[in-house]
Amino acid sequence: MSSNTPSSSAGGVGSADSAAPRRNSKRPKYSKFTQQELPACKPILTPRWVISAFMLVSIVFIPIGVVSLFASRDVVEIVDRYETACVPANFRNDKVSFIQNETTNKICTRSLTVPKRMKQPIYVYYQLDNFYQNHRRYVKSRSDSQLKDNSSWDDVSSCKPEDDANGMPIVPCGLIAWSLFNDTYNFSLNNQQLAVNKRGISWKSDRDSKFGSDVFPRNFQNGTLIGGKRLDPNVSLSEQEDLIVWMRTAALPTFRKLYGKIERDLQPNEVIQVTLENNYNTYSFNGKKRLVLSTTSWLGGKNDFLGIAYLTVGGLCFFLALSFTVVYLVKPRRLGDPSYLSWNRNPGGH
Amino acid sequence: MSGWETVNEPLKSQPGSSSRRTVSRTVTLGRVQPQAPALRTIFCNDREANFAHRYKGNSISTTKYNIFTFLPKGLYEQFRRVANLYFLMVSILSATPYSPVHPVTNMVPLSLVLLFSLIKEAFEDWQRFQNDNAINNTLVDVLQAQGWKTLQWRKLQVGDIIRVKQDGFFPADILLLASTNADGVCYIETANLDGETNLKIRKALEKTWDYLTPEKACEFKGEVQCEQPNNSLYTFTGNLVINNQTLPLSPNQILLRVFSECLSSIVSNVVKGCSLKNTDFIVGAVIFTGHETKVMMNSMNVPSKRSTLERRLDKLILALFSTLFSMCLLGAMGSGIFIDRKYFYLGLRQNVEDQFNPSKRFLVIILTMLTLLTLYSTIIPISLYVSIETIKFIQSSQFINKDLNMYHAETNTPASARTSNLNEELGQVEYIFSDKTGTLTRNLMEFFKCSIGGEIYGTGMTEIEKGVTERKGIKVQEVQTSNDSVREKGFNFYDGRLLRGAWRNEPNHDACKEFFRCLAICHTVLPEGDESPAKIKYQAASPDEAALVLAAKNFGFFFYRRTPSMIYVRESHVERMGKTQDTSYEILNVLEFNSTRKRQSVVCRYPDGRLVLYCKGADTVIYERLGSGNDALNKATRDHLEQFGSAGLRTLCLAYRDLAPDLYESWNEKFIKAKSSLRDREKKLDEVAELIEKELILIGATAIEDKLQEGVPSCIQTLSRAGIKFWVLTGDKMETAINIAYACNLLNNEMKQFIISSETDAIREVEERGDQTEIAHFIKEDVRKQLKQSLDEASQYFCARSGPKLGLVIDGKCLTYALDSSLRIMLLTLGLNCASVVCCRVSPLQKAQVTSLVKKGAHKITLSIGDGANDVSMIQAAHIGIGISGLEGMQAVMASDFAIAQFRFLEDLLLVHGRWSYIRLCKVVMYFFYKNLAFTLTQFWFTFNTGFSGQRFYDDWFQSLYNVIFTALPVIIVGLFDKDISPPLSKKYPELYKEGIRNKFFKWRVVAVWAFFSIYQSLVFFYFISAFSSTSRDRSGKMFGLWDVSTMAFTCVVVTINLRLLMMCNSITRWHCISVGGSILVWFMFIFLYSGITTPLDRNENMYWVIYILMSTPSFYVTLLLVPVAALLVDFLYLCVQRWFFPYDYQIIQEMHKDDIHCTGPSGVVGSKQQLIADEERSNEISQLPREVSKHSGFAFDSPGYESFFASQSGKYVPPNAWDVARRASMRHKATPK
Repeated sequence: MSSNTPSSSAGGVGSADSAAPRRNSKRPKYSKFTQQELPACKPILTPRWVISAFMLVSIVFIPIGVVSLFASRDVVEIVDRYETACVPANFRNDKVSFIQNETTNKICTRSLTVPKRMKQPIYVYYQLDNFYQNHRRYVKSRSDSQLKDNSSWDDVSSCKPEDDANGMPIVPCGLIAWSLFNDTYNFSLNNQQLAVNKRGISWKSDRDSKFGSDVFPRNFQNGTLIGGKRLDPNVSLSEQEDLIVWMRTAALPTFRKLYGKIERDLQPNEVIQVTLENNYNTYSFNGKKRLVLSTTSWLGGKNDFLGIAYLTVGGLCFFLALSFTVVYLVKPRRLGDPSYLSWNRNPGGH
Repeated sequence: MSGWETVNEPLKSQPGSSSRRTVSRTVTLGRVQPQAPALRTIFCNDREANFAHRYKGNSISTTKYNIFTFLPKGLYEQFRRVANLYFLMVSILSATPYSPVHPVTNMVPLSLVLLFSLIKEAFEDWQRFQNDNAINNTLVDVLQAQGWKTLQWRKLQVGDIIRVKQDGFFPADILLLASTNADGVCYIETANLDGETNLKIRKALEKTWDYLTPEKACEFKGEVQCEQPNNSLYTFTGNLVINNQTLPLSPNQILLRVFSECLSSIVSNVVKGCSLKNTDFIVGAVIFTGHETKVMMNSMNVPSKRSTLERRLDKLILALFSTLFSMCLLGAMGSGIFIDRKYFYLGLRQNVEDQFNPSKRFLVIILTMLTLLTLYSTIIPISLYVSIETIKFIQSSQFINKDLNMYHAETNTPASARTSNLNEELGQVEYIFSDKTGTLTRNLMEFFKCSIGGEIYGTGMTEIEKGVTERKGIKVQEVQTSNDSVREKGFNFYDGRLLRGAWRNEPNHDACKEFFRCLAICHTVLPEGDESPAKIKYQAASPDEAALVLAAKNFGFFFYRRTPSMIYVRESHVERMGKTQDTSYEILNVLEFNSTRKRQSVVCRYPDGRLVLYCKGADTVIYERLGSGNDALNKATRDHLEQFGSAGLRTLCLAYRDLAPDLYESWNEKFIKAKSSLRDREKKLDEVAELIEKELILIGATAIEDKLQEGVPSCIQTLSRAGIKFWVLTGDKMETAINIAYACNLLNNEMKQFIISSETDAIREVEERGDQTEIAHFIKEDVRKQLKQSLDEASQYFCARSGPKLGLVIDGKCLTYALDSSLRIMLLTLGLNCASVVCCRVSPLQKAQVTSLVKKGAHKITLSIGDGANDVSMIQAAHIGIGISGLEGMQAVMASDFAIAQFRFLEDLLLVHGRWSYIRLCKVVMYFFYKNLAFTLTQFWFTFNTGFSGQRFYDDWFQSLYNVIFTALPVIIVGLFDKDISPPLSKKYPELYKEGIRNKFFKWRVVAVWAFFSIYQSLVFFYFISAFSSTSRDRSGKMFGLWDVSTMAFTCVVVTINLRLLMMCNSITRWHCISVGGSILVWFMFIFLYSGITTPLDRNENMYWVIYILMSTPSFYVTLLLVPVAALLVDFLYLCVQRWFFPYDYQIIQEMHKDDIHCTGPSGVVGSKQQLIADEERSNEISQLPREVSKHSGFAFDSPGYESFFASQSGKYVPPNAWDVARRASMRHKATPK
């Protein structure tokens, strides 16, 4: 009765039209919205669309992937893991007591060979492993108002358990500041000191807005336990860039933080002597420590991930486009074939 | 002061009235009487005297809230929802120190959702308030200071004397005092109360007839003592004390107020009825007002129904809760294991709070559970319910209510969704229970054809014939009803050979004359009104009878007056062309119709003394009683009867017999004796009638069209192609029901039919004996036998794919037993496997029983459609109740969930609106599920990297606005606008509807697919972004912190989740683009602002400048391109593969019609018709091969209301029983089944 149906409904509308002008008519007003006739495009995933979409993605992605990969490959990176090497052999079985012992000699020397020419600036990072800077107890143990403004220097309510020492509020308070990383690195090339610029290693927005220039460390690391680096009480927090970098907590338990910049080019096969002071305790929780020297590209540090991901997605799409083309050529499904309709495939079946 | 104490005690059983409970008030001097008489005394026309009683005013209020109760009550309603309660709990929890998030995270969405819901509630209540106001401000004439003064209804008080004019509505329950009609009679239409369209008569007490003018009415000082307000519509007890005379009052003097639902539509001029008719005006005294009127006390609380989808949704939510729980448990266990003093930087040495105390690991687990519960709370989609409600509300109020295809111009009725809960349920209906009269048929009998002396007259074509010929491919030419043809309601006949005296030229004009006389004389119709052909109204017990008398009138035999012994007929063209003469026939005997006799006879004496018995009745009974001879005529007529029957017409045979005076006299003696006998009068009368109703001479046959509603057969056919099965539940007789079933294509001769009837000889024999228990036992056994036999026979077709369709016909009496618990299963099995089931002679209760049998027994979605009060129970029992509005009463509509004007609109309602609603809501639900799961899972993966501490990944505001701002609008747009195929196509391919019946789009399989995507995408989000953060991201060498990474991740999530929405759209309007683009834009605008400002408010400084830092690095853009594409790649692949290899039906149809021009408006509807592809055309042809012409004849005669009609005419009060059909159903009748 399909031939009957549309005409009857059409008739209904037609007759309604004639009656429209009547007063008190409850005839709904026509609008494209209420009649659900809004103009719309109706994308259908036809084979052509599918194949061209996949092709498009692969065409866009593969070049980006190649470029990213090249950018990443341009970066020269020297990574030196030193947490075990810098513990004297006699302390290897009890690294924790070594690190906690104030009297032991923590100086350690490493030499790094430059594999490729490294253009300045060369960034010096330290990388920690298994260090949960994103632990909830850790993240919230800081006082933003105190860091920002001298007037609220005693606002330490959120800093437990490092809120006060000897009854006095700590500035900067909280676990994050308390556990400030305190290994130091000195570089020398051919017995010549390599200057490490520690200015401008933090984000400018942090320096300007989060850490006040009138806030000075007070009562810091005066507690029973020393967590990490001590701060010079005469330097305002906005200039304590190590602290600012440290306090921008990392997202993951493995993280790098900027230590400084070496502002000169390094030539291949040059050997850099690093004199480092191995002060920071990662031994109690089996954390690793690495020293990283890296150049950057426009895309950042050495990270093949983006390039590989782009290439994979692009390649996959290319492969899919190909296979869909093959399927389309070998065993096409005629579009809109009524015999595919379920009720035509098994008439009367439920 | 009167000695009566008044206690207004509302009925406790009325839930609706409980909120307006009147305080018991006794008017005594200082002493409270414990038990005051349940009577009220009303002093008519004396406001002061009544004032002491403090009767309720006449204003009504149907609002749910007032200004003061709105907030507490509204909030209470909201928190009855589990999701809201859960979020309240979580919000409270997030105010504790265990929460990783600021309370704002959960507070904001909750309060937004609550705010939205409350605004909606307030809006709806405001509309109700406006309605009430409109009603309360309707005007009525009230007697004040010796004159009629126009007042608003709400100012009316008990005891006032009011005047109601013709077509006016009664503002309260009033006592009829006087009427402009003679005898103090007035006519009222009560269609809104009981659905009966005939006028009711109310008669004032003789003593009060005079109080018609204001001067007289002023003198009226009556005192009404009556019952307390109650909800019984058909009873009233009370006395009128006037001049120290006590006169009893009956319901016959009471005029009831109309339903307020009805009133609101009256105010907007939709419904005619509920009013005074045929009377200039009446004067009455107000006795019950406002909420105390019987109708208001009767107003039903329609139980709100929840849709099946929502109940399934509950299961999904439950599944989400258990997922949430296991995620929390897993995380909590992890935290218990992780926490250790070795992480010195966590400061766990001393004064550690319980949650991180390594020495109390068990407590750590418990408390971390709470932490994670608040953190992962986003997995429960809080805005889901509110979104669904919004979508449904707009769907019903904007799409269904305003659909022009469902607007009926004749009655000026648009469709109306009375609830917005059930839209998507309309897309899954598998069983339709339909009333017959008024639903399938118009309850409008029209004289359509006749056969006189072996010749067929009448040129019309019934719907069925049209359908048959159309299926044969013959184009139906509209029969030109020439403008001079006579057409009126009840007479749809045109044949030039008979009208305007032309019959005189026919060869069989004598037969014609007899035929017309028989029509004009042999009936029990009462004429009413002016004695002119144009103005007369016939009051008939059944519309068939009225149609026949009307036909006689149109043929020139105008019956205009009846006295107890005479019938006056104005005959035209009898002597010669154009001559009119009034003839009176003496009616000697009326042998009434009953269902056993199936015929009705009248013995009349012509003015010239000729004695004739005219008889009309069912073909079977008439043919049994025909005299010998005339075989050719009898055979020809029988052929015609079959022809009429197969065309779906109701037939009657007409016959006469000339009586010799002596024969008649001797018979009449027996008749009088029988008539005066006291025992078994009915039976004796039947026996006597048999003696004279024999040797009849056949005149011809009439064919009355029980006019089907427009488009019913085609609608039913379309819907059955959609996999919907029909059950017709009717109070009519089996023959009538079968007739209509044939007419509607529900039954046809190709079908295997099973008829289970109580009309067998064996049962009748047992019934004769009259032992009730034996009858019951016997019928039960018989029904069991018949059912078993049918089931055995039917079961061989169950599995066969190409077997005939099955049909079942069962009558009410058998149904009584078949519904018994022992036979129920058999009935259900049989019924469920039938394409159509016809239940005849069922009571309203049985209608409901059958409906709930299928609803509960089959777990399928049921829909009931009906128009009258007798369908109310059925409408409420089914999942969806649909009322036919516009013509008859309002009761069915008021009990219904949707009201449509015509049965055929079901097609639009189900195939278009229902189907779309279902598909859209499934999409909405799945999308909600997906977006919340994907979002929450990123948090979950993060938890593993934070030492299970429950640290939040996202900022508080990100998390709280994610659901309500950044992803809220697009999904609503999809819920409103997504359109897979156009309405004409969904009606053209009704099979698509089966996807809804099988619930293809809301299965656990679908959920699993979405869950898979969520998991995959969340992994992409988290790990791609993690990888991104491991080295510096631009030339400056600086590293990103937690908040930079999370902002990056969140940006990717928002972009991806919104783009995913576009991928699941079948049609993309500009609103889709605006909302999706807008959502992403809003996110960016938000983060620009949010990270650009520092406020003194308690918030973290973490977010400061984050987005600007991110956007200054090129890798931000590179990643933003990569992550969404990588995340959506698998989804896209899935969609491609699914479409390519396992296409849904709708997708094929999309492809078939993708090149159609999508015209708007009805022209597009017609246009697509021509574009049948050859294949399709063939398959359509095959499916629509002409069917064998059915071999059964119709039979029309069913008028058991006769007695009550005459009773009410003679002033006796017969309760206007709304359940008249029930009575009919229970009436014994003995007809031979076919």
